[in-house]
Amino acid sequence: MSAQPHILVIDDEPQILRALRTILVEKHFRVTTASRGEEGLALAAANPPDVIILDLGLPDLDGTEVCARLREWTLTPIIVLSARESERDKVAALDQGADDYLTKPFGIEELLARLRVALRHSARAQNKTKATVVKAGDLVIDLAGHVVTRNGAEVKLTATEFRLLAYLAANAGRVLTHQSILAHVWDPAEVDSVEYLRVYMRQLRKKLEDDPRQPVYLLTEPGVGYRFMVD
Amino acid sequence: MSRRFQLSSLLFYTLAIFAIAATAGVLHLLRGSLSTPTIALFFLLPVGASAVRGLGPGLTAAFCAFLAFNYFFIEPLYTLVVHHTQDVLVLIVFLIVAVTISQLVGQAQSSRAVAEAREREATHLYVLSAALAGLRDYSEIARTLGEHLQEVFHPTTIEIIIQPAGHASPATYAPLGGSGAPASQAEHVVLLTTPRGKMGEIHLGKAQALSPANERLLQAFAHQSALAVERATLAQAETRAEVLEESDRLKSALLSSVSHELRTPLATIKAAATSLRSGDVPWESLARGDLLGAIDEEVDLMNRLVGNLLDMSRIESGALKPRREWNILAEIVGGVIARMRLAAQRHRLDIDVPEDLPLAPVDYVQVEQVLTNLISNSLKYAPPGTTIRIHARPTGENAIHVQVSNEGPPVLPEHLERIFDKFYRVTAADRITGTGLGLSICKGIVEAHGGRIWAENLPDRFAFNFTLPLTLDGMAPPSLPVETEPV
Repeated sequence: MSAQPHILVIDDEPQILRALRTILVEKHFRVTTASRGEEGLALAAANPPDVIILDLGLPDLDGTEVCARLREWTLTPIIVLSARESERDKVAALDQGADDYLTKPFGIEELLARLRVALRHSARAQNKTKATVVKAGDLVIDLAGHVVTRNGAEVKLTATEFRLLAYLAANAGRVLTHQSILAHVWDPAEVDSVEYLRVYMRQLRKKLEDDPRQPVYLLTEPGVGYRFMVD
Repeated sequence: MSRRFQLSSLLFYTLAIFAIAATAGVLHLLRGSLSTPTIALFFLLPVGASAVRGLGPGLTAAFCAFLAFNYFFIEPLYTLVVHHTQDVLVLIVFLIVAVTISQLVGQAQSSRAVAEAREREATHLYVLSAALAGLRDYSEIARTLGEHLQEVFHPTTIEIIIQPAGHASPATYAPLGGSGAPASQAEHVVLLTTPRGKMGEIHLGKAQALSPANERLLQAFAHQSALAVERATLAQAETRAEVLEESDRLKSALLSSVSHELRTPLATIKAAATSLRSGDVPWESLARGDLLGAIDEEVDLMNRLVGNLLDMSRIESGALKPRREWNILAEIVGGVIARMRLAAQRHRLDIDVPEDLPLAPVDYVQVEQVLTNLISNSLKYAPPGTTIRIHARPTGENAIHVQVSNEGPPVLPEHLERIFDKFYRVTAADRITGTGLGLSICKGIVEAHGGRIWAENLPDRFAFNFTLPLTLDGMAPPSLPVETEPV
């Protein structure tokens, strides 16, 4: 990664492109923009960016398809932008490999926070190393050693609880859809049984969060899935 | 029926002949004491009586009487020969009188029959048009017409098709097995037409052809029904026009509400943005922070308004189908509270939603929105510093009851029902912001889940209540086998 992270923004709204370019350049990012899906795919191949910001309402290609075609050859983090009324498209894009989403209209702090998470992820993806120990506040999760400590004290987790936490922690900062969590932690046949996920998440929060009702690590993404927050 | 008619007329002819024969017999016995003119007069009686049965029997009786009178009573007896000129005259006069009587009586009879038939027709028509009056539904019209046709014409098959021009699917009535009369039968097809065009058709299967009178009656039935169909069509068009007018009225209420609500934040944003651009506001000043804060807040407000409008239109078009999955209500409430913490910082929140409630089959995002709208409504009306309470319990009837209550002013009983109506406001519009859609969206969502929503005044609080059924496709909440053994 160069000193100036390279962001590719694919959006057909000139006003959004203008605003994002101005703000991101101000924040010392290098910005490339595309207003069509095909153009975005070509630019991503010609000059691989560190993060891709992709609007789901493109005139030529379905956002989900752009995600799928990018994922054929690159692990570059993708943040999708969606309108509130296109929940399903958002989930579909995440299932196709997008890392995160933002609902329009969004605040710039929110976007910058997502970019920071994505860039960390991007660095990991490029180093091709998987972190084996994930630290978040007073939690330390040793993925290889199957040990979780909170304030230095070991937390006893059941096998399923650990698999769930490990999957979320290994993808720290990313939004994981219900479907992808169920397929990874339980069984690909169980992708519609969200109730398992809800119940085990409640168990995990009781064991790991200071206030299980106001979680800070294990966050619910309404209608989409869950996210493990590191900072 | 015409076969029966032939039989009965044959009977009348026979009766006429018998009547003459009987009269001749009786008079023959009494001939000693009766004069010839008296006998002639007596013969007129059976002629008149026979003429009542029709012109044919009357004339038959007249000629038979003439022959019998001549044969039995005019000299020379038992021949048809007449010697005296006077007798010839008597016979001629007799014949003329007999024929005239039978003609007059016969005509009177047949015109009475015609009058009766006309009256019957008129009665049938009257009964039909009375039955059709006020019918607005095509299949009702078809059924009514069909029943009357059956009663009057006794058809073997009947099929009625009502389909005014431009009407997609026809209304049909075919109680006797529908169209396709057997080949041996005559099928009468009559179109229902009005000056506006074809309204439908009648297919009537009968063993024989219809009499001209019945043909005419059938046409009159068709005409009456066509008019009824036309009336129904016009009435439906009128109803549609009223519905359109009502929806127009709602749309303009929406537009005026929306333009007012959207323009207020726009005015703030415009003022703040132009002020910041003008360079009059120093970089490091409190005013600058205030202006930027105002822009940010007003944009959020506009975003909520637009969201409400979208939700309302989705509810109205039936596109807001809940994606029901087994969820933990406490988790949903927790998410809502976390996001509303800032908005609710001037109120106290008292949350009583047990973790161990049964799993609820709800759309997470939609129930989140119901709670958000109810809490934000409470925040708007309850004075700062008071408590907003969120309370959930299972009811006895397989549902969860959620109550969001606040210490705001009570609502007059007549408003309690209507506060969930679109654009309904208890308070004057300029005192409280919002589109007047938040509560009606709650109602739309709760009802889409099969639940109920209502508002009530408690002794010291005002409360919104809603229920969420606990069954999904007839299934009760699952209780999952949760592992308890740590690894």
